Amino acid sequence: MSNVIQASNLTLAYDNGAKEIIKDANFSIKKGEFVFITGPSGSGKSTLLKALYGQLKPTSGSLIVGGNDLANIRRKKLQELRTHMGIIFQDYKLVNEWTVSKNVVLPLMIAGYSNEIQETQARRLLKHVKLSEHGEKYPLELSGGEQQRVGVARALSKNPVVILADEPTGNLDDYSSNVIWDLMENACQQLDTTVLVVTHKIPTIFSLPYRHFIIESKGVYEVH
Amino acid sequence: MKFIKNHLMFILPLMAILLGVEFYLVFDRTTDSYEKTLTEGYTMLVVSKNPVKLETFQKLNKHIITATQIERNNIVSEVAKGISKSNSEAILKALPYFYNLGLDSYLKTSELDAIKADLKADSNIKKVETFGSSYNSSYRLFAFIKLILKVFIIFMAVVSLFLIIKQMEIWKYAHKERMQVMEIFGAPLMLRSGVLFRVAFVDAIFATMFVSAIFFYIKFYWAAQSGIDIMQQNQEALFQVADIGILFGSAIAIVIVAVYSVVFSNKGVQE
Repeated sequence: MSNVIQASNLTLAYDNGAKEIIKDANFSIKKGEFVFITGPSGSGKSTLLKALYGQLKPTSGSLIVGGNDLANIRRKKLQELRTHMGIIFQDYKLVNEWTVSKNVVLPLMIAGYSNEIQETQARRLLKHVKLSEHGEKYPLELSGGEQQRVGVARALSKNPVVILADEPTGNLDDYSSNVIWDLMENACQQLDTTVLVVTHKIPTIFSLPYRHFIIESKGVYEVH
Repeated sequence: MKFIKNHLMFILPLMAILLGVEFYLVFDRTTDSYEKTLTEGYTMLVVSKNPVKLETFQKLNKHIITATQIERNNIVSEVAKGISKSNSEAILKALPYFYNLGLDSYLKTSELDAIKADLKADSNIKKVETFGSSYNSSYRLFAFIKLILKVFIIFMAVVSLFLIIKQMEIWKYAHKERMQVMEIFGAPLMLRSGVLFRVAFVDAIFATMFVSAIFFYIKFYWAAQSGIDIMQQNQEALFQVADIGILFGSAIAIVIVAVYSVVFSNKGVQE
């Protein structure tokens, strides 16, 4: 199987390289794998995720995602690459002035799909995340767990090659967390999507085989 | 209410800038005609030993466009009343040639002095009278009014620009979340800023319409009934159809700068 993500001697830093967060990291992730990245607070988990969706440029080394080196990627190419990613945030990052349906189909809207396809997909995805009756509501009218399900539906809407999730259950109760893990397991299993989750704690209910990386002292290490 | 307030906060400063632009256009047109009147009414007096043709004057200075000789017989008849014919003929023979010179535009007093110097460089020219003091006082008053209005317009534009920047800060905050989310999911710049452009474009149309309506009213209703001579004489200069295009063009230019300032300040990639 081909690598979807490949990091070689990857260094990530802020303040023009002055504040190093990750140093000389080497790892690779294949298509269809489910990966957990854990580590203490402030270890650089979210920084690594930011780098994976091109929000932070590598200071040195290379970070190849879907065949594109994010250290030297052009803006246009990065925009295109992001349309093949599903990104889930701890704080949901939904557009509060848009309806739930519109939020869900944002990736389709960006890709230029027709309104008809967008509406059909919105219905299908909302049914999938058990929010069929909430399509015309606005995000702030939903509970935290429901908002995160909207975030998952949005991430799945364009059958992404890779899903990146930053503490997706960080703000949720156990029931809502289990629903989210269930949805992500399904995505990985049924769509053969690579899923990379940054989290404090690996859920105990998790049933799929997975890989586990830990970030410690600026290094990224695989836990066997 | 918030929606209307948001629009007005952009439309009003935009209108202030457009009012400044339109005031400038109107003033420019009005002063053009006033300058023309002053230029047409102004001549300088030249006294020469021998007759001089217009071409000769023009060779001395390119600003001279007319040269009208003052009838010498008329001068003699005025000064030689009661004098014998032979004496008046002697006066006529000794009398130099007088010319009124017209200029191509309304010139500064320093330029008048330059023309005087050019003319006096010719040995045939005995005397040049520019009537500098009266010309100078009209010119200074005219230049002062022009300067005051320009300063006022620039001041108004700067203050309005600050208000627009302030409103841009509010827009930046209001649209930041949506634009950042769209950027994360790969939306190109035009799609991200589409809403802003639509809002600002509509505001630009409204601002242009309001300013055009104000000047339309001034031209066709207020000026006509004002009883102010200068307003009625220059009614045509108050507002012209082409001004709508200039106003809309200016509004669109401001909108593009304003929207791009919001879009680019919301860029996400950290180096």
